[in-house]
This record gives sequence, structure tokens and C-alpha cells, in this order.
Amino acid sequence: MTRVAGRLLWGVVAIVCGTGAARAQAPAGGPMSPAIGAVEVRIGAVVASNSGQGFDQRLAAWQREFRTLFPYSSYRLVKEERQLVPWGGKAGFDVPGGYYVLVTPREYKDERVSMKVMVIEGSRPIVDTTLSLRNRGTFLVGGPRDPDGVLILSIGAHTEAR
Amino acid sequence: MTCRESENLLPLFLDGELDARQMRAVALHSSRCRPCEQALRHLERMQELVSSAIQARVDEVDFSAFWPAIERQLGERPLGWWQRLGVWWRAGEHPWAVRLPALGAAMAVALAALFFFTRVAPRTSEPAAPRLAAVDNAAIIDSLETDLDSVAVVSDPETRTTVLWVSDNTVVGEVP
Repeated sequence: MTRVAGRLLWGVVAIVCGTGAARAQAPAGGPMSPAIGAVEVRIGAVVASNSGQGFDQRLAAWQREFRTLFPYSSYRLVKEERQLVPWGGKAGFDVPGGYYVLVTPREYKDERVSMKVMVIEGSRPIVDTTLSLRNRGTFLVGGPRDPDGVLILSIGAHTEAR
Repeated sequence: MTCRESENLLPLFLDGELDARQMRAVALHSSRCRPCEQALRHLERMQELVSSAIQARVDEVDFSAFWPAIERQLGERPLGWWQRLGVWWRAGEHPWAVRLPALGAAMAVALAALFFFTRVAPRTSEPAAPRLAAVDNAAIIDSLETDLDSVAVVSDPETRTTVLWVSDNTVVGEVP
């Protein structure tokens, strides 16, 4: 009797604590916010091709853009990564296909994130650009070759800087 | 960039310790200068050899007796508060006059916590897809350089999305 009551009690406490912890940690529909003074740089690498009709469900948010902008029938997400960097810091991402993406967030002005983006293939820079993007916005770099098709990179930034 | 400058920067380039401007300059130079490209490959090869030699030596070390020896020195693991509580509860020397109030208090805390956590406000954010699609993704490009044959900037007003499309015409392929 004592053992049964004890286990019952611990079970209830564990369930309640577990439920509470899960609720407390659940993000409100998105990633954790970067600290003020830092930038969350995120990239996604998509292989697009005309072999097959598959549209990766993880790209559902981009379906309209991809269908409008590109002539491919199949889109597959092959990499997704986020890095938190300070202003002026560098976020480097290895991308399938032998590419390397280097993003350097520079400043936050007029609700736009200014950043330098380099896409390097081996030791050859195939894109070297400086641009500004609305906070939480994303732009696309397409065209680099991939063994399975063409690579489309989504590069975005998010900051809480005011 | 001269070969001398490039040679000095090659080790830092290999370690990724250059800033973006220098990295680009070294990358450009070494892609066009055969001796510097060979020097870079030589450094890469040397780094591989050094790391494989170190790995081989590390693999030779026998760590099988390492953790058991640490465990012996650690002795008995101290119990956490949760385990101590369990031991106390199971000890059997506490009368029900102690157990019942303890059980009641724990139940009350559990119910209060359950009530509190289930009153969390409902999520107001939209699912990921519509929320992302609603963001203005138009980019303002200040400068753009490429080592490839062509680059196109596409800014679609309908989807408010900016695309940089690069292609190397030496390779035949699909371009939108």
C-alpha cells in the first residue's frame, strides 16, 4: 500500500512537472529569439531539379515563391542551419556540393539588416555581395551546380536590435 | 595580390582565420596562379598528413582501463534529492501521521501546478508557413561581384523575394 501510494504520488508530480516544463520551453511558433546585439543567421540549401515532382514539405512556406520564380519540378531541402553571431562576426556554413557560405552581419538600420555574403566554391568566390534585408527577411541565391541538380540557398537574418 | 603576399596568407587562409576581403583575395589569386595553387594544395596535404599522424598515435593509446580506474576513485555516487526522498518514503519507519500530510501536501502542489500550467494563454502565432511567406523578403543590393560568367538579380514584386541567380556558362545547364 505504501509503495503503491508513493509511486502514484511521484507519477502525478512527474507528469505535472513535465507538462509545465514542456509548456514553459515551447517556442511561440518560431525559433528562440536572438539576444539584443546579436544576429541569428540562418541558411537553407535546396536542391532543385526536373527529375520527379517532389516538393519537400519542410519548404511549404516557400512553395509559392519557388513555383513562381523557378522552372523546376522537384525541390528537396538538404541542409538547414542557424548560427548566432555578434555584429561584425562571421557565420560560416558548409553546404552540400562543396560550397561554403560566409555571412558577416554589419549593422541594423531602418529595420534592415545589412550584411556581406560570400558563396565560395572550393577557393573560388562565386558570389560576393553586400546587401540589406528587412529584419527576419530571407533572400535567395540560386544557380550553383549540384550533382543532383541546381542549388538554391536561402539566407536570412533576424535580430532583436533596436 | 602578389604571390609573396599570398604565400604569407596561405596558412591563415587554410585555417579560415582571414577576414572576408583577404579570404576572397587569396582565393582569387590562388585560383589564377598555378604556383600558389600548388602551394595551397601542398599545405592542405601537409595538414592532412600531420592530422593523420596524430590520429594514428592517439589510436594507439589504450583507454580501456581509463574509465574503470576513475570510477574506482570516485567511490559511491551521492544520491540526488529525489532518490533520497524515495529512500525516506520507503524506509517504513514513518507513521501514517507523517506520511499522509506529506502525501496531501505533495498532491496539493501537484494540483496547483497542473492548474497553473493549463491556464497558459493559447498560442496566437500563425503556423510557420503563412508567417514566413508574409515577411517582406525584398533585398537592397549595395554591391555584387562574381567569378562566374553571368549573374542575374531577380526581384519578384508578387512574392516580394529577391534572387541572385549565378551561372557558369562553361557548364551547360538549366537557367530560369
